[in-house]
Amino acid sequence: MANEMEKIFLFLMLIVTCSFSSSAHAGETPQRIISLAPNMTEILFALGLGNRIVGVTSFCDYPAEAKRKPKVGGMSNPSLEAVISLKPDLVVMTIDGNPREFEERLRSLGIKTYVFRASRLRELPKGIRDLGKALGVQEEAETFAREFEAAVKRVGAGEGMTGSHTLSARKRVLFIVWPEPLIAAGPGTVIDDALALIGFDNIASDSRVAYPKYSIEEIIRRAPDVIIIGRGMERQDIEKISAGLLKRLHSVPAVRNKRVFYVSDDLYRLGPRTIRGIDEISRLVGQ
Amino acid sequence: MRIRMFLIIALFFLVLVLTPFLGPTVISPFAVDATSREILFSIRAPRVVVAALMGMALGASGAVLQGILRNPLADPYILGISSGASLCAVLGILGGLTFLGEFTVPVLAFIGAIVTGSIVGIMGWKRGGLWPERLLLAGVGLSFLFSALLMLIMSVSSDEGMRKAILWIFGDLSMSEWARIPYGLAFVLAGIILSGTKAKALNALILGDEFAHSLGFTPHRERFILFVAVGLLTAASVSLGGMIGFIGLLVPHIIRFFMGSDGRVLIPASALVGGALLCVADLISRSVLPPMELPAGIITALIGSPYFLYLLRRKNVLGV
Repeated sequence: MANEMEKIFLFLMLIVTCSFSSSAHAGETPQRIISLAPNMTEILFALGLGNRIVGVTSFCDYPAEAKRKPKVGGMSNPSLEAVISLKPDLVVMTIDGNPREFEERLRSLGIKTYVFRASRLRELPKGIRDLGKALGVQEEAETFAREFEAAVKRVGAGEGMTGSHTLSARKRVLFIVWPEPLIAAGPGTVIDDALALIGFDNIASDSRVAYPKYSIEEIIRRAPDVIIIGRGMERQDIEKISAGLLKRLHSVPAVRNKRVFYVSDDLYRLGPRTIRGIDEISRLVGQ
Repeated sequence: MRIRMFLIIALFFLVLVLTPFLGPTVISPFAVDATSREILFSIRAPRVVVAALMGMALGASGAVLQGILRNPLADPYILGISSGASLCAVLGILGGLTFLGEFTVPVLAFIGAIVTGSIVGIMGWKRGGLWPERLLLAGVGLSFLFSALLMLIMSVSSDEGMRKAILWIFGDLSMSEWARIPYGLAFVLAGIILSGTKAKALNALILGDEFAHSLGFTPHRERFILFVAVGLLTAASVSLGGMIGFIGLLVPHIIRFFMGSDGRVLIPASALVGGALLCVADLISRSVLPPMELPAGIITALIGSPYFLYLLRRKNVLGV
């Protein structure tokens, strides 16, 4: 009985997955694209499709032109009406940022969708190539993917040369997404991937969720050598907001040796700025 | 009764002394190294003290409010005080305000609580006094208004901002530090002492204004003083660590099951049990999924509610 159920469940999963991935049709070049995720907006601009974007989310703030595009709502709650009224011939979404029901709803209304499936660093080149194929911009996508792969190789090689690949010498790092309440970058995030690529040990990578509310006493116990604090996407005075936290962490090696760094939001989105974000960290921390 | 009260006091201090040593890693009091000492004294100890103060404030103010509003469903949050505090705090968090450094958010929450409490008081005031029904309805109305505003702000903010705000609203004790405790302690003690001195008046008010009057109390005056005490307690607790559910509503009921509803016993016993319960809840929230922490408010409700429902089946509630 249980076995039967399992089979039925797997079968259903298969149907769902198949229909999900076959939603985009290759070949035709869409003219009116809506992007439902900030990183997709950045990627589309990087592939030279910026002038074909007719709608973005209210969080799409990069590049500057994206801010002037019509808004269709947030990532988790885009407005169906706003999307339809812009008459898109393709809606680009991400697998982990947008609700699946929204994608199904759009397809049932006859609107074509493309679901970008890459959410990790190593998945990006393939994701970009697939996207390029589906949108008829193979060449641009190939260039993007090659540059990305080369940059990843360069960073990875740099790590090998400094000899920090030996486990004992690896720097122990904590990336703080928000100081109060304390939220860290955990496993499965682009930030975690980036730290591993540079050759760091992310002390939050054994958490159960991507962005855990991290325990302060665990930071003291795990004694990170470096603390990186993200400035975030909002323009806030992050140094002042972090002051209280850093005071409490005064005995941690990172704070004691003044190895606390503030970084831009380049690493928060998997896209054209990701490499810049990785370089920023390796430059700051490596000095 | 004496023995029960003694047991509660002993339990409270036992929890207060024991919980700092427990957590994601147990610290043995006989083998304390430098790291453990720091975790013990500058992370866990202030946290336990804040949890105890918040729990005491919530337990005591719940006991008083249920009396002055003559409503078993009243809790410190029903008057909208916490919604007002949350609204101010979340505005501060999302707006990145830092004008008072690390004290910004607690101070904003406190201001929000006091302002909201005053509005409820003004709305509940008629013909020279506070009326329970008016207070309750004004509080509920205001609470809905502020919750709606809070939702509005959160739904137009980024996902990142929303998470920060949600974590704060669900109660965050992890940032507790010694510097905040003197203020918290002052307000909580003031509130509990003020309500304790009015415990007899509270007993009379529960039986009705005419009855209280015939016993020589001035109902409106006594109610006003008790209302101020509740406002102080709620404001202090929300500003110390956000909103923690369950304690203010159900701890006073649990105390009534065992010790009756005499305010002179009910108020201190609710405070002590509330404090001990929140310490234990916070211990669980920081220990179960290291290095992650859960909001303590979820744990209080998770362990408290089933126990309350069990008692509800076993005992006579409210003498029914």
